[in-house]
Amino acid sequence: MTGALLSVRDLHVTFPSERGPVEAVRGVSFDIHRGRTLALVGESGSGKSATAMAAVGLLPPNAKITGEVSLDGRELLGLSDRQWSGVRGKRIGVVFQDPLSALTPILSIGRQLADAVRVHTDLSKKQAWTRAVELLDLVGIADPATRAQEFPHQFSGGMRQRVVIALAIANDPDLIIADEPTTALDVTVQAQILDVLEVAKAETGAGVLLITHDLGVVAGHADDVAVMYAGRIVERAPVKRLYRAPAMPYTLGLIGSVPDPHATHRRPLVPIDGEPPSPLDRPPGCPFAPRCPLVVDACRAAEPELIPIEDEHTVACIRAEDVVGQRPDEVFEGALAAPARAVDAEPVLRVRGLGKTFPITKGTIARRQVGTLHAVSDVSFEIGPGETFCLVGESGSGKTTTLLEILRLRPPETGTVEVLGRDLATTPAREIATELRRAVQLVMQDPQAALDPRLPVFDLLAEPMRAAGFEAAAIRTRVTELLDLVGLPPDSLDRFPAAFSGGQRQRLAIARGLATKPRLLALDEPVSALDVSVQASVLNLLAHLKNELGLVLLVVAHDLAVVRHIADRIAVMYLGHVIETGPAEQLFAAPRHPYTQALLSAVPIPDPERERARRRIVLSGEQPSAAALPAGCVFADRCQLRPTLSEELQNRCRTQRPALRDPDEVSGVSEVSGVDVACHAVNPPSDLTRAASGKEGRP
Amino acid sequence: MFRYVVRKAVGWLVMIIVATNATYFLASWFLDPRSNYRDLRPVRTDEQISNALAPYGLDPRTSVLSRWWHWLTDVVTRFDWGHSPTGVPVNSELPHRILVSGQLILVGVVLSVVLGVALGVYTASRQYGAVDRVTQTLSVVLYNVPTVVSALGLVLVAISLNQHLGFTFLHVAGANTAGGVDGFWPNVLDRLNHLILPTVNLTLTGYVSWHLTQRALLLDALNADYVRTARATGLTRAQAIRRHALRASLIPTATSIAFTIPAVLTGAIITETVFGWEGMGRYFIQTINKNDVHGAVAVAAFGAVMTAIGAILADIATVALDPRVRVS
Repeated sequence: MTGALLSVRDLHVTFPSERGPVEAVRGVSFDIHRGRTLALVGESGSGKSATAMAAVGLLPPNAKITGEVSLDGRELLGLSDRQWSGVRGKRIGVVFQDPLSALTPILSIGRQLADAVRVHTDLSKKQAWTRAVELLDLVGIADPATRAQEFPHQFSGGMRQRVVIALAIANDPDLIIADEPTTALDVTVQAQILDVLEVAKAETGAGVLLITHDLGVVAGHADDVAVMYAGRIVERAPVKRLYRAPAMPYTLGLIGSVPDPHATHRRPLVPIDGEPPSPLDRPPGCPFAPRCPLVVDACRAAEPELIPIEDEHTVACIRAEDVVGQRPDEVFEGALAAPARAVDAEPVLRVRGLGKTFPITKGTIARRQVGTLHAVSDVSFEIGPGETFCLVGESGSGKTTTLLEILRLRPPETGTVEVLGRDLATTPAREIATELRRAVQLVMQDPQAALDPRLPVFDLLAEPMRAAGFEAAAIRTRVTELLDLVGLPPDSLDRFPAAFSGGQRQRLAIARGLATKPRLLALDEPVSALDVSVQASVLNLLAHLKNELGLVLLVVAHDLAVVRHIADRIAVMYLGHVIETGPAEQLFAAPRHPYTQALLSAVPIPDPERERARRRIVLSGEQPSAAALPAGCVFADRCQLRPTLSEELQNRCRTQRPALRDPDEVSGVSEVSGVDVACHAVNPPSDLTRAASGKEGRP
Repeated sequence: MFRYVVRKAVGWLVMIIVATNATYFLASWFLDPRSNYRDLRPVRTDEQISNALAPYGLDPRTSVLSRWWHWLTDVVTRFDWGHSPTGVPVNSELPHRILVSGQLILVGVVLSVVLGVALGVYTASRQYGAVDRVTQTLSVVLYNVPTVVSALGLVLVAISLNQHLGFTFLHVAGANTAGGVDGFWPNVLDRLNHLILPTVNLTLTGYVSWHLTQRALLLDALNADYVRTARATGLTRAQAIRRHALRASLIPTATSIAFTIPAVLTGAIITETVFGWEGMGRYFIQTINKNDVHGAVAVAAFGAVMTAIGAILADIATVALDPRVRVS
């Protein structure tokens, strides 16, 4: 192709390591044109970030890079650091993944932006500062002149990412490289940031290299997609073509393993077995062959070349023709079974009016309390046998605090918690320790950190049983049973956690949670630290365990799409309050609370046509601090529905906190949906006329 | 910023007062001035000894509280730090010793920090290069050399150098030539010459920890995401390090300078002993040996003041380096 803005040809990147050279990128070629977005999709270790960093010369000096990277025909590889500095920032702007660490903590926001401007221009300090304020305004920061004087720690995550984008476009670059720009952000903020990136792209007319693992983000924002696996591009096509007719089993599996919160029915989620190969130990032949359900002997003989199968659609798979037109669940086995319906019986866990506050203190020697953080306020729910209950919310919504308050197995600060029908406030501590503790277990978010690296698997699994007073012989049989249960090989007993991959470690953590045969397993973000293709298999395992053992699962998650595929019932939390709760199907099909609607709307759909056609609700601002709760509805300040309401109702939103009620019951509909909503607009207060609330909570 | 520093300074003033008075009680408890008189011939009775100590406020028959009050009143009203058990006023011993030790410690600390931080910065940005490996080895070796050994080593080197050259190129003992030198400038030069070896000794034993911690701090900062962001805006690696990483990595160093001063003071005791300096370090040993309560307390007060000065300087440096302090 001619006239490409950035042209990468046969790029190889090799890092030295103690166990020999690691080939992170192996022969990658692509072009990016002005005004178009190429998405580089892949899981961790696929080489997508190394490719991007090679294109801006920001790889560590010990990396060996070969191939060609040219910008408007000028070769970039082999430039000196000084020559690179004329390209970076001026021709190429970069947006990094983690906005919390991407800004220098000791320099003001305006100073950092002004510096970035002055690197490539002769503007005076004052002129550069003016430009910095303009840039902040452009990326949507309110009151830019004042905020420019503030420091990064005074900005929230989403705001900092806006600043990083402003830094990237400060000198009107021709190419913007965005390396996982929204991965570290909450879903409603992610939607805002993606919009800002679109603004930046429109403003500069630049080409964009978007690096992500999220096929939903790709569907909405890319023009072309290149899928990377094990250091190579395995499939490349225009975005619509790729989603409509993927030709590589890996792409098919990726699309199938991304949960879709907007699907009309709960479609089965397909797991890709196994994990990506270690770069030090790649199999001969196609690197995906060990995980591929369509593998034939020829796949293992030689690594397939990237060949065109149709206009602009190239793929590295010898079975491409057989793959096109297939659906993920036809190719991949073990599709996730829909969870069984809950039966009415005595609840396993009942929470009533749970509250938790933290004091905010000031001063080092004489600590005095200056405020109270209301982390959890008046949370109530119950979970019946065989049910999976999910607490959903963005960071700071109090969902993890709720979970930990329950698992503490102590009388809560306010409210009551009943486990297996026993009130924690009245049950003697001894009985809690002996009986309830083993009935309630926890699996944490990050399996890397949750498992003691110095304990072999046997001890890891035996530890909770020893604490619960199991017999030594019983422990031994139970440990092998557990490994079998979570699908780990029985010979792993004497290995250490370091010998396992992320997905396997999470299986280990689950096995550890199951050791004492609990009735209730609490999981704090069980898959958010895992790669997409591995997530599906862990979710599958959970569903399987639940059906097999009749477990009750209490899951805390921020990812609505994940929740949709395992939950029977959901509670959506905002600022420590449950604002909507009900059966998962109903909640996803017809969300009532404006926040739930916005949250669902913010999740990108892994389908370019639907994603681009729909109207999204993008909330303004971010979740406020729980230190100063508003008097009325906690969501009132950001509510997209409130401006459309009658003045009387708007006032009520500001002054009176809405109670969690079933709107159908209130409006007298005979069939009760089981959904409870805390919203004045959805649940019109009885003293207000029906006309005032005529436009129900559906925009 | 000014209010911040003043607030800190008031805190330190309180700390000095508390530390000094606490030392008074500890010293009165542990040190017994009467033992200075016990070995004298003719043998004196306890009463005679106590009578002899009474004019210096050291009479053990009065309660420790009234002795303390008496001492405190003198210090506050007349800045009189009391007498030794043999009647030598502490005030007459202090000024020249403070001058001597002050210059030693000040120059030693400044040189240690400058040399250590400079080496740390230089080697961090050239990690695993030849210079880094050599200086690191050297620093680890020096870290393990006791002050006495390095001081004596320096003395031996200087003596053989002097003998080789045939004249006294480096003075190895005392703070100045006994009997003095005529003229102002020759006198200054003479003092500076005497200062060289002890300062080198304090620096050699002091710079190592600065080198190693600054290197580690900067290495952390070099790999920080914000340095990468800075480079992405078009700064070269060297510029990004200088403008973003270096400043951030200096903050912990600045904070810790204050708290190394007590350690330097201890190091100075040995250095002063080896090089025959009549400074606060040696005075500290002497006062303890001679059960001189008032002298020991004066040394403690000196140490507290030096630490406070170091801490306030460190606070000012922190504020200058980290503008966030000014905001909050």
